[in-house]
Amino acid sequence: MRYGDFVSKAAVNYRVVSYNRLTPKPLTDATGAEIPYTPPQVRLRARDVIRLLTPYTRVRFMDQFRAVIPLAAYLAFFQAFIFQQPVREPWTVGAGFATVIVGLMMFMEGVKVGLMPFGEVIGDRLPARFGLPVVLTVAFIIGVGVTFAEPAIGALRAAGGAVDPARAPYLAYLLNHRTFELALAVGGGVGMACVAGSLRFIYGWSLKPLIYLSLAAALWLTWKLMSDALLNDLIGLAWDCGAITTGPVTVPLALALGIGIAAASGKSDSPSAGLGIVTLASLFPVVCVMAFGLWVASTTPVSALPAPGAPAAAAAWFTRTPFAELLSAIQAVGPVALFLVFLLRVALRERLKESGVIAYGIALCFAGMALFNVGLAYGLANLGGQAGGMAPAMFTRVDAVAESPVYPWLLGVGIVVVFAAALGFGATVAEPALGALGMTVENLTNGAYRKKFLIYAVAAGVGLGVAAGVVKIIFALPLGALLVALYLLAAVMTFFSTEEFVNIAWDSAGVTTGPVTVPLVLAIGLAFGAATGSDGFGILALCSIFPILTTLSTGLWIQWKVKNSHL
Amino acid sequence: MTKQRITALTDVALITCVVQKGMADEVIRAATGAGAQGATVFYARGHGMRERLGALAVAVDVEKEVVNIVVSSDQADRVFERMCAAGDLSTPGMGFMYMTRLDKAATYVPPEILAAVEKKEP
Repeated sequence: MRYGDFVSKAAVNYRVVSYNRLTPKPLTDATGAEIPYTPPQVRLRARDVIRLLTPYTRVRFMDQFRAVIPLAAYLAFFQAFIFQQPVREPWTVGAGFATVIVGLMMFMEGVKVGLMPFGEVIGDRLPARFGLPVVLTVAFIIGVGVTFAEPAIGALRAAGGAVDPARAPYLAYLLNHRTFELALAVGGGVGMACVAGSLRFIYGWSLKPLIYLSLAAALWLTWKLMSDALLNDLIGLAWDCGAITTGPVTVPLALALGIGIAAASGKSDSPSAGLGIVTLASLFPVVCVMAFGLWVASTTPVSALPAPGAPAAAAAWFTRTPFAELLSAIQAVGPVALFLVFLLRVALRERLKESGVIAYGIALCFAGMALFNVGLAYGLANLGGQAGGMAPAMFTRVDAVAESPVYPWLLGVGIVVVFAAALGFGATVAEPALGALGMTVENLTNGAYRKKFLIYAVAAGVGLGVAAGVVKIIFALPLGALLVALYLLAAVMTFFSTEEFVNIAWDSAGVTTGPVTVPLVLAIGLAFGAATGSDGFGILALCSIFPILTTLSTGLWIQWKVKNSHL
Repeated sequence: MTKQRITALTDVALITCVVQKGMADEVIRAATGAGAQGATVFYARGHGMRERLGALAVAVDVEKEVVNIVVSSDQADRVFERMCAAGDLSTPGMGFMYMTRLDKAATYVPPEILAAVEKKEP
């Protein structure tokens, strides 16, 4: 007996079945022609259904679990042991986080099987059927639509309640009364970015002039808002919106569309194709939101703004918890899903294969978005708000915390800044989109710029950004001036960097702000700002500019090193 | 003229395992644990069980990874079983695997190992 036979006989029970007994015999009809075989549907036992669904759910659940839980644990740990304050409502927060994980899991799977196939087919077929103007219009509308479907955009609505209308009248007005138009302004920016990105794919434009142009517009508007005391607070909101837009729905769908259009127009895809669209999608909305703010200010004088606290109408059934979230989910995903279906069936007269799977995907999008919205309010925003509200108690007197200040001033400020920096760094290192970008970078630079190096450069940038945001709030530094100075520095560095690197560095800012980080950081910032009596927006904006700076500077350093080594 | 030297290996078998995208690493880890020396993965699209599952088709990925592993005939059954278990192939829709005998194979074999083998059985 062979050794191998012996081992396997000892370990496993084999049942050997001839495959001949399982395959069908050819059937013939009355005339003797063969009837083609159609496989019957398989009826599964309940046990097999569970065995089939368990790995399917587990993999997707763990993806989100790994992204959410470390952050939540870090926040809870810091709050309990360093801030020395218990987590309030721990069960609500825990259930909220569980809901976020399940919601994100369902939503991401829904986007993958329900929306992505549309993006690919439309990007592929539309340019063949219609001229460029129609294609660009469609790209614009999809850009607007996906912005509404972005999970993090719901965080804006949640942020509205934390703004003091007496101090920042226009900010409160926009967030509480003009939420839809605000999101539309953001969407318009993303739509324009989709158009510009597609044109860039087709004509092979360089990204640099686009960056200079949109930056010039954004900085000019920032400077204009800075000179008006009532509008000053809009700067933070506008720049934060840029960070919010580039999430897990917008980026892949815009990319699929842009690449499809470029391929159809006969441009082969270079390795850097697809880069750059994220940059535009985070710069254009900034311009749009600021322009929208200026327009509102010029048409509505301060005296005409609704009085603070007035609008709270009687709570109708659709404003209560499960219904409100479901309704907002339908508002968020519905338009873009309907538009995609309409485009495909009516304009293109195409049918997707497996329409049942698509319907399942879209249904998952709705359910996932609704769950995510519930979890956002009770888990992410709740815990973030607690941590942000307690942080000032480390170094100053806060009414809510009896023993404040917990530490001497300097130590307290130091602890809070370190807390913020570690939060930013940790949240970014785990971001899966960043790993993908890192791979692209390694390929583009022939290994000169390592994937790990990019991840750490970007994560350090985000850490610096959150810390800078906290410092800005503590010392009430003017955000506008900070942003103008930092972005001018980035523009100078852009001028000296190579085209590939500019693409990578500016894109890295967009990929870092996912659907978990954004609401968390936003809530921390707002609560922190409210507790210290200053403007809480702007942390996300600083989280965007610092990674650009760190990535550009490491890129320049590597460029210099490679050049020197060849001499 | 110098004669080219080739070390040909006999008693080899090929195990091919088709699993859903993302599962190959786990299967390869199991095979390596059972003594397999290497693996090749390529991507493919599958057709079969998924079309017959009805609504449950959503749980099965169309995109597959095909794992090719060459093993010695002594270890073949053991590696086969480990891979089958790791890939959970007895669950509907998870994949398919088969083993074929190979006439011979050739690759780099570390010289000291070759020398040790030849000393034992000339």
